[in-house]
Amino acid sequence: MSSHREAPEISQDPVCDNTDVYAFVSPDKPGTVTIVANYIPFEAPSGGPNFFEFGQNVLYSIYVDNDGDAMPEIEYQFVFESSLQNPNTFLYNTGPIGSLTDPNWNSRQTYSVFRIDQKHKKGTAVAAPNGDSSVSDDSSDIAAGGGPAFPGKGKVSLLATDLPCPPCNVGVRSTPNYELNLAMPAVQTLPTGEVVFAGQRSDPFYVDVGSIFDLGALRPFNPAHVIPLAAANGVDDLKQANVHSIVLQVPIEMLTASGGKPTSVTDPDAVLGIWAAASRRKATVLHRESAGKAVSGPWVQVSRLANPLFNEVVVPLGQKDDWNFGFPVDDSEYLELVQTPQLQGLLPVLYPGVFPNLAGIKGSRDDLVAILLTGLPPGIIPGFQNYTGTTYADMLRLNVAIPPSASPSALGLLGGDLAGFPNGRRLADDIVAIELRAIAGVTYPLVNKSYTPDAAAGLLTQGIPVPATDGVGSRYMTHFPYVGSPYDGYDTPST
Amino acid sequence: MNNVSRRSFLKTAGLATGAAAVAASPAVAAAVQPDAVETTPTGPLPHEPIIAIIRDVERGEVTVLSGHTEKTYWDKVLVKRLLKAAEQNHRQGRKGVA
Repeated sequence: MSSHREAPEISQDPVCDNTDVYAFVSPDKPGTVTIVANYIPFEAPSGGPNFFEFGQNVLYSIYVDNDGDAMPEIEYQFVFESSLQNPNTFLYNTGPIGSLTDPNWNSRQTYSVFRIDQKHKKGTAVAAPNGDSSVSDDSSDIAAGGGPAFPGKGKVSLLATDLPCPPCNVGVRSTPNYELNLAMPAVQTLPTGEVVFAGQRSDPFYVDVGSIFDLGALRPFNPAHVIPLAAANGVDDLKQANVHSIVLQVPIEMLTASGGKPTSVTDPDAVLGIWAAASRRKATVLHRESAGKAVSGPWVQVSRLANPLFNEVVVPLGQKDDWNFGFPVDDSEYLELVQTPQLQGLLPVLYPGVFPNLAGIKGSRDDLVAILLTGLPPGIIPGFQNYTGTTYADMLRLNVAIPPSASPSALGLLGGDLAGFPNGRRLADDIVAIELRAIAGVTYPLVNKSYTPDAAAGLLTQGIPVPATDGVGSRYMTHFPYVGSPYDGYDTPST
Repeated sequence: MNNVSRRSFLKTAGLATGAAAVAASPAVAAAVQPDAVETTPTGPLPHEPIIAIIRDVERGEVTVLSGHTEKTYWDKVLVKRLLKAAEQNHRQGRKGVA
């Protein structure tokens, strides 16, 4: 999985579990950047009567670093509040929900959006991660979100409050004409210019997790596995799963350090570092008399995500929880894990005789370091760079001067498409194939010209059909919020 | 059920501070301070309770969570009083569901 249930602690707190983050120049509005932060893995569309919703007492954050210091100059916060219209029924809805104000809709959720602008001195360390000392800020009290989850002081702006989430897609009787009546009306344009949506969607990620975590197998390569089976097509385990998406579209000028819209790919101002997170209050007291939970203390980050599969595949089990508590600026402690990834050593063992050249690599995987921790400097790939400097930090790095591709390749940069991963990440990018091929050595010649990748490295695939140009069918939309309509509970799983 | 409500916590903490002002040493303070008196909560748990976390008994190091803030103090008298209440909990040996 990209980051679904990727660490022991967060696997027990699904509403905080950041499953994927995407960042791309909006294909239909190239003057804007769209960021998608998904939470709640493996939502079964029929999961009622208490259908899925964002967590209360959870702070959802989208961070943007625009000066390469791996600390956020901009943070968007989302705080949710649930309410019951009628507490005297067990029903989520008492009739068809025809609109976001329909009285038949019982269990609702609204949210507030804050923007925090922070300035950092370059080279300053994060002195107080994880709320281990006070991060109080006088201005933070104006925010229901409570101010920065990231240590520091910032200017807090409340952008909007009481924005509606759509209901979950219960089924054809309860939520007819879901997109038209419920999802699209929940798309909100803020007075400051951003467009936001928060609610249930179909999970855009596709992965054969059942095979991959069965001893690192790819079904098309089953005969070559150390425990061989017959070759088969891949199985998309998220094909009928929903997720909860926060989708934010921001004019580029509101994200860059200069306040302008860079047009040169080599302009350092063009590269944004982006990640998302979820935080909880430091203490929770459970008690019947306080209707469930009382909370206290500063926000403590419990989940974060930028590059897909980083915590999932690179970080070992014993460090995964700690990684979720940490911040990108401190990621140098994971450098060695990227330089010598465990999966690089496993592939030749799992597929005997298939990866002899990979097995012979003794040096540091500086290609992976560039892809995951620093960005690719100018001069490596013609017409491309997403370098943020020497600070090792797991962030998506999006060069906003690169326009959306007219003919996207799901393989992103590996497919010659400069607008795809690792230049940010689009919804349909075939992350598993890209990262497996990279770890298997396809990108090692970027830093070692004498290396010849194994023939199999460039062929690695999950065997899940991926349209080469426009993604994976109806799971994606060509306009905001781009993430596809959620599967409904009546029809899913289909008989 | 042994709950420290915000009101009782503040009351206890206030008493401890007051005692510390007149006591020359922790030993003297302990001599003049009565044990915590167990009671039933007089109101609902606050939505955002004040929470104290004893980190180091010997140094009297206690972290106080309040609102969105967290600060750590050295307060041997406060730590001592909290420990005393905790010891009472254990002596009474009640367990179960709150």
